[in-house]
Amino acid sequence: MSESEPPTEGEPAKRLNDLDDRLRRLRERAPEEEEKVVPRGGNSPQSAYGFAFRIGVELVVALAVGGGIGWLLDRWLGTLPLFLLVFFVLGAVAGLLNVFRAAKQMNRDV
Amino acid sequence: MAEGASPLEQFAIHRIVDIHIGGIDASLTNSGLAMITAIVLVTLFLTLGMRRHALVPGRWQSMAEMSYEFVANMVRENAGHAGMRYFPFIFTLFMFILFCNLLGLIPYNFTPTSHIIVTFVMAMVVFLGVTVIGFARNGAGFLRLFVPSGVPIFLLPLIVIIEVISYLTRPISLAIRLFANMMAGHTMLKVFATFVVSLGILAGWAPLAFIVALTGLELLIAFLQAYVFAILSCIYLNDALHQPHH
Repeated sequence: MSESEPPTEGEPAKRLNDLDDRLRRLRERAPEEEEKVVPRGGNSPQSAYGFAFRIGVELVVALAVGGGIGWLLDRWLGTLPLFLLVFFVLGAVAGLLNVFRAAKQMNRDV
Repeated sequence: MAEGASPLEQFAIHRIVDIHIGGIDASLTNSGLAMITAIVLVTLFLTLGMRRHALVPGRWQSMAEMSYEFVANMVRENAGHAGMRYFPFIFTLFMFILFCNLLGLIPYNFTPTSHIIVTFVMAMVVFLGVTVIGFARNGAGFLRLFVPSGVPIFLLPLIVIIEVISYLTRPISLAIRLFANMMAGHTMLKVFATFVVSLGILAGWAPLAFIVALTGLELLIAFLQAYVFAILSCIYLNDALHQPHH
């Protein structure tokens, strides 16, 4: 009851100051503990659709980016099919890696 | 409107006010107008909602507070307390995308987020910003993001290339996801709308009912895609703020 009233004098005001001090001490301590933030992407149930779409896009885009980098390298070096093929495969691997990581992240939430 | 019944016509850009500054076409288009409308509405929604800042919020104020808390929790959970420094940016991003998406659902309104250049610019800002923050906070240590631990030394060059490709896909997948969702949804709505007209008064009710359901789904997607864009920005931010650990 008395906690909800504004601190006027004496006891409540002192206790509030005490609380302030304790909070400040906690906040100073917090940054060390807080290094191990684990992202919990897509933790709400209705985002399953968003998650599915995310995975699909991730796969295709990685292929496109890999192929794009390969093609640019080829155009620069004049070795047309070589790097395009190599980076296409690397892009596929990167895409799978992205999907794997996204799935791992989702697994953590469940 | 009469001759152009193409479902893609809704994505056409029209000039509304011609502005040319030093040979650069800076005209106000329907896309620009829609974005300005979104910004004005977000501002009004939040400032007018919080105008009375009552201890016990009314409906409007609780909506404004809910959106604030929703994004604040998202940033805190995914990027930690250090990420809260960038909360204003993520919140702006989320509200802007959300309002663009929702306003686009109103008939005759334009959807700026259905253009890849708009979403790509936002994704690029996130991508470049995260990269700059990562290097500013960790220095060259940020490059460790590309070197996962526990990899045999002879595989390392290959893995680093793959990691770099995977990093470079971020802005593109971010941009394509939002743009593709908005464009696909709006195109589908228009296609089914033409079915209503061509099937006439007898059979046209079926696609009409479908459009109603689809509009509901689009409402969900409008929210979801703003959420996904914001949450992925937080996750990328987390990589830049804290030392990576795959």
